[in-house]
Amino acid sequence: MSTTTIALLGQPNSGKSTLFNALTGLHQHVGNWPGKTVEKKEGSFAYKGSTYDVADLPGSYSMSANSDEEVITRDFIASGNADVVCILADSSQLERSLFMLADYAGIDAPCFLVLNMEDVAKEQGKTIDVASLEKKLGIPVMLFSATDTKAYDKFYTTLERALKAKSRIDVSALEEEYEKLEGYNEIKEQIHDNVIPGYTPMWLTVKYLENDKVVSAKLKSELSEDKVATIESLKGDNNGAIATGECKFKWIDELVEGTVKGKKKTIKLGKLDRIYTHRFWGKPAVVLTVVLGLLASFIPALPIMAVASVFDILKNFAGEALNSAGCSPFLIGLLCDVVIQSMSYVTKMLGFVFGVTLVFGLLEEVGVMARISYVFDNTMGKLGLQGKSVMPFLVSFGCTMGGAAGARVIDNWGQKILTIALAWAVPCGAAWATIPMLSTVFFGPAAPVVIIAVLIVMILHMWITAKIFGAKLINKEDRCGMIMELPPYHKPKWGALFRYVFGRTKDTFFRVVKVVLLVCLIFWLLSYGSGATDTSILYKVGTAIEPVTKFFGLPWQLFIAFIAASVGKEGAIGVITALYTGGSYGEGFAQAMSGAARAANLGDILLANVSRPEALAFIFAITFNMPCVVALAATYQEIHSVKWTARIALYYTLVSLALACAAYHIGLIIW
Amino acid sequence: MKMKLKELKENSIAVVKGLSGDSRFIGRITSIGLTPGCRISVIKNDKNRPILLYSRDTMISINRKECEGIEVEEVMA
Repeated sequence: MSTTTIALLGQPNSGKSTLFNALTGLHQHVGNWPGKTVEKKEGSFAYKGSTYDVADLPGSYSMSANSDEEVITRDFIASGNADVVCILADSSQLERSLFMLADYAGIDAPCFLVLNMEDVAKEQGKTIDVASLEKKLGIPVMLFSATDTKAYDKFYTTLERALKAKSRIDVSALEEEYEKLEGYNEIKEQIHDNVIPGYTPMWLTVKYLENDKVVSAKLKSELSEDKVATIESLKGDNNGAIATGECKFKWIDELVEGTVKGKKKTIKLGKLDRIYTHRFWGKPAVVLTVVLGLLASFIPALPIMAVASVFDILKNFAGEALNSAGCSPFLIGLLCDVVIQSMSYVTKMLGFVFGVTLVFGLLEEVGVMARISYVFDNTMGKLGLQGKSVMPFLVSFGCTMGGAAGARVIDNWGQKILTIALAWAVPCGAAWATIPMLSTVFFGPAAPVVIIAVLIVMILHMWITAKIFGAKLINKEDRCGMIMELPPYHKPKWGALFRYVFGRTKDTFFRVVKVVLLVCLIFWLLSYGSGATDTSILYKVGTAIEPVTKFFGLPWQLFIAFIAASVGKEGAIGVITALYTGGSYGEGFAQAMSGAARAANLGDILLANVSRPEALAFIFAITFNMPCVVALAATYQEIHSVKWTARIALYYTLVSLALACAAYHIGLIIW
Repeated sequence: MKMKLKELKENSIAVVKGLSGDSRFIGRITSIGLTPGCRISVIKNDKNRPILLYSRDTMISINRKECEGIEVEEVMA
């Protein structure tokens, strides 16, 4: 069976992801390009008995060498990896969005043009003469809406046409424009065919004029010395890219002229945009949108989370049944506390992932995401991030795994990792259930001061972490402010959206189960044997290194609770209660994680055993510790890098201990 | 009269006269459709927010710092 590879190329908001998802459905694989911090998305589908591989190319706006994404994209195409390239453009903004096609013209690979968003163009009263465009371009052109599932037959037939004809863009009219440029003809004469395979001399000349670093370097190494000297002398000032840009748009104007008919759109901001872009109300409006979205995401999430409680019931039931059957406690623990417990965590997490993916996907598809980027561009730019990074941060106040899953909307890998790394510093719902309680027990009326201190530390933490990780993760060229299109609002297509969300949730499930099982197993093994007479490794280590942890303000009981909190923050209180009342902390942890009620005399137990500086240390330690095992798994799922996940986890563990230490010693001075 | 893009008031209409900056900026700004001679209208120009403008049928937002290299000339509507 033959396999054909299709590469998808298009600017942001051209509907590339929608097309990719619709074509490949659940057959997707996300990884990284070898040796690069750029995400690689591949998928496949079958049509008429043949398999088609689809590569969703990361190129952003053009085929220049301004980012790794763009270089990867054009190299992939030029080295013949794709049998055909599908170039996308937005029918409602044809003039601007055909730029990708103009920049592509001259790369020697078969292609066809898909004019997406037919529905939006229609709404705007635009009609597009596809036949005339096809004639001018010399490649198959089709008009459709990627969200319309019935339109795909048309896509397949156009694809087949392009494959059969191996169609390439007719560049004669474009080259006529280029020929008017000073030095163009002379430089092109020096560049023979196949100097760099896959690129025509025209394309190379244009890129050379544009000062394209990669092309210039390559030409210098491939051409003879005197030829290099000639082209060097012919190249004018540094503004070649402006002149070639003008040529490209002139060509586009000619293409569009007489092809697109319709009234010019009015350029007033809609009601919603007037609010989002408001100087003062913009930010509150965005925060409100995200919060409402999150609340709404609980509606589909709750049934999934309800399944998690079935696992909790199953766990108790299985435990009792196996116990009465005389099974060894080790096996029972392994099955109940590791396997079933992990499934319960993962199911709860899937509920979140499903809800957040749905809501964020919806905001993105509708066009609200671009507005959020606009509103928070300045603020997030200070951290080296995009405006939309604000969303995962807001979500993380509820749940860090939701924040990690929500970071998916960030299209730059380095910025995505940094966003998640910073989102970890945001105290999650479980921390918010613990901090105020502990603060009130120990500090009474001064509790709000502690909470404010936590928030201040959070901001400082994020700022410093952004400095530490940002230098490595984010290239200088990605640190620039936004130059971006705000797309018109679209009506969501629920079918396509749900298919995408289900796909992602399924994918997440298989990836995170391993991580959660592994971490739960390790934690369980470390704490196995805990009882009244404690024999667990964690106990032995905890008591042995107590002189050290005491310096950080953590007696061994609190240190073990701290370790337990990195598996799940909710469990920390259960562990403390158990340890100070002589119970089994493994059990205390499991019960607290399943939402068991707190001991009624918890306040007394704590006050009797823990000093105020120690309490302060513990509050900071668990607030800024690794959020939980599922957040860890969700992070790994999003960034698919063991190295970075481990690095972030280690960093947080160390920083939280350092913060605890500082809090403890400040506490010692105060009290 | 030539002026910087960010000096334009809201609702004014202008023509792009010149672009200056590194190749990343030039590449990026031309790819979104701003080339010399192209007509733009300013939709929003608030402090601490990107400038919002309309050009080639598209609403475009541009970070204030990035606007430095865009020179325009106001035209009467």
